[in-house]
Amino acid sequence: MTASAIEVKTRAGSAKRRSPRVSPLILAFVFVPFAVEAVWVFWPALQGFWLSLTNWDGLSAPTFVGFGNFGDMVSDPIFRTALKNTAIWLVLFGGLSVAGGFGMALLLQKERRGVGIYRAALFTPVVFSLVVTALIWRVFYQPDGLVDSVLRGVGLGDLVRPWLADPDTALYAVIVPALWRQIGYVMVLYLAGLKAVDPALYEAARMDGASALQRTRYVTIPQLKGVNSVVLSVIVIDSLRSFDIVWSMTKGGPYHSSELLSTYMYSTAFQSTQLGYASAIAVVIFLLALAVILGYLIRAFREET
Amino acid sequence: MAPDRRTFLKGLGALGAAALVPGCATSTTSSGGGGGSATGEIALQSNLSAEQAKAAMEKLVEAYNKTGGGTVKLNTVASEIFRTQLPTYLTSANPPDVYTWYAGSVANSYAEKDLLLDVTSVWDSMGNYPKSMQTLSTSAAGAKIFVPTSYYWWGMFYRKSNFAKWGVTPPKTWAEFVQVCEKIQAQGIPPIGIGLGDTPWVASAWFDYLNIRINGAPFHRDLLAGKGDFTDPKVKAVFTKWREVLPYFDPKGKSFPFQEATSALLGGKTGMFLIGTFFADSAPKDALDDIDFFQFPIIDPKVPVAEEAPTDGYFASKKAKDPEAVKKFLTYLATPEAQELYVQNSSGTAIPANPDGKAADTPLVAKGKAMVNSAAELTQFFNRDSSDALQPTADAALTKFLDKPDQIDQILEDWQAAASKVFQA
Repeated sequence: MTASAIEVKTRAGSAKRRSPRVSPLILAFVFVPFAVEAVWVFWPALQGFWLSLTNWDGLSAPTFVGFGNFGDMVSDPIFRTALKNTAIWLVLFGGLSVAGGFGMALLLQKERRGVGIYRAALFTPVVFSLVVTALIWRVFYQPDGLVDSVLRGVGLGDLVRPWLADPDTALYAVIVPALWRQIGYVMVLYLAGLKAVDPALYEAARMDGASALQRTRYVTIPQLKGVNSVVLSVIVIDSLRSFDIVWSMTKGGPYHSSELLSTYMYSTAFQSTQLGYASAIAVVIFLLALAVILGYLIRAFREET
Repeated sequence: MAPDRRTFLKGLGALGAAALVPGCATSTTSSGGGGGSATGEIALQSNLSAEQAKAAMEKLVEAYNKTGGGTVKLNTVASEIFRTQLPTYLTSANPPDVYTWYAGSVANSYAEKDLLLDVTSVWDSMGNYPKSMQTLSTSAAGAKIFVPTSYYWWGMFYRKSNFAKWGVTPPKTWAEFVQVCEKIQAQGIPPIGIGLGDTPWVASAWFDYLNIRINGAPFHRDLLAGKGDFTDPKVKAVFTKWREVLPYFDPKGKSFPFQEATSALLGGKTGMFLIGTFFADSAPKDALDDIDFFQFPIIDPKVPVAEEAPTDGYFASKKAKDPEAVKKFLTYLATPEAQELYVQNSSGTAIPANPDGKAADTPLVAKGKAMVNSAAELTQFFNRDSSDALQPTADAALTKFLDKPDQIDQILEDWQAAASKVFQA
């Protein structure tokens, strides 16, 4: 639902630039995808909003309950945990992948011998499906697995614990592999952005006696504004839709301690078959994504004009 | 097999449906998946996707098609997809005709929505089935809606050679059981294996058994049907008993699934394991000869002995295109021949539901069958006696209890709150 909202926005944006006479081909290009989208995305999305106002078990007819589902959320401790974990996820996963990705891009932007190998190595995790990533990391985390042996090897055996089964560590143990993958992705976005920066700017800055740090601060970062908005959208969307890695590593457990809004939505929908309540959670996820991204985009547009 | 255009479109449909909760939920009028043929062919939707079970189903369907009684088309679906899609199948306009499913409450819940075919006439040929199977297959409204074909049992499994090495014998009572735990613990081996990572539902076996041993099967069933309260002191008594053996549980069991807990048991890294016979699917054949089990220890001799014997079988959609052909097929499935054919070709620990059907000829299976037959009451397992919707509430409560037994009062309160939400939904 969140991804479709973005698509709609970009599509609406490009539709503005049309000439007075529109060729039928262009119309076809606009309306055929729109029709497909309407059936596959808009209609189910509208249904989702409607369902969030009902109680529905998937079998009988839905019964209308107004905003009852949203009221229930306030007193639902699992929902509060999921909301808190999603916030933690957004901050840690989002923040660290931007910091890490940007740092790696700066380190690896200069063409040196062998730099391609490092770039490829960092990008490799992106190629794996998250489910595969989860499998690999589960092997690392398993009792007496790699993580435990390394800790014991360096004399930190006291720290060994059931990483994915301990409510205090489960969420963070899942964030690490998610970051492992996301940093490579963000790095590639920034590398592309850095390539587009005019080298003359650096040269001019150097002539004016700017240090490396100052060049980064006053040349590189402002020049990357366009990339930043892309990265931010990607990060927010990826954080809020993070599901596969959590589901395949902990299923939100143990006892809901690593639950995100997305995993909680799935389990209420397809395990507890409370489809109305699950739709209400989906609406909350949608609104969160919209709020974060709209807030940023509005500011970005305002600065541009 | 090259994907043709239709499977591609179907895939697209599945993608579109899976993209959103509501998308999935509202697609009830389309994608029956496997139905559709109106040529007198019966569509059989099967969740038996494990390799051996799938092959056994193919043999079974082939055998039926050869009898000339009709044509059945088997459509095997991964069990998790089957579980989440079953409501969609049944409420679709053009549903598949026959489904593999489980007896008891999980079948009855669909009968209550009037989605199942009344198969009372099939039961005319099933007079030799025990009373317990009849009860399990009857809806609350009194109609037969299910045809049981096989069942398996749960027990405390162990390796005979290891028990001999450690000098312990299978216990009968709770006190003896605790002693066995102590003895195994003294050898430096965690006595009780468990596998909760990924498969937290395994813990429900402990809850089920302790509850039916302490409070009896009727109380257990009522509780799971929403007619009780998890904050009841009788429920708390279950956990008080459980706490007595908590120190004997394998601490690593929280991290891995039951398949790995099986390996731990077979490798001698744990002493015993409360599990259903399906664990044998992932065990090497040579190790199986060394495997034995004992009945879950008796706690209160005054409580009639109940055992968990989950029963598998079939039900049919009310909208089946040719109900007579469906009933004919179900009648065939209820015969000893059909059940033997399935049991022989699958992993071999399932027991035919028809009393005349021969189970695999091993001492282990004979012992399991005898235990189930001598039980005064049978239960099905937590999710089958309640619903798949209630299972996650149990998973959360029980794994938390294993981690933080001190917080039991709070855990039971939370469980009751979560359960009442499920019952109201």
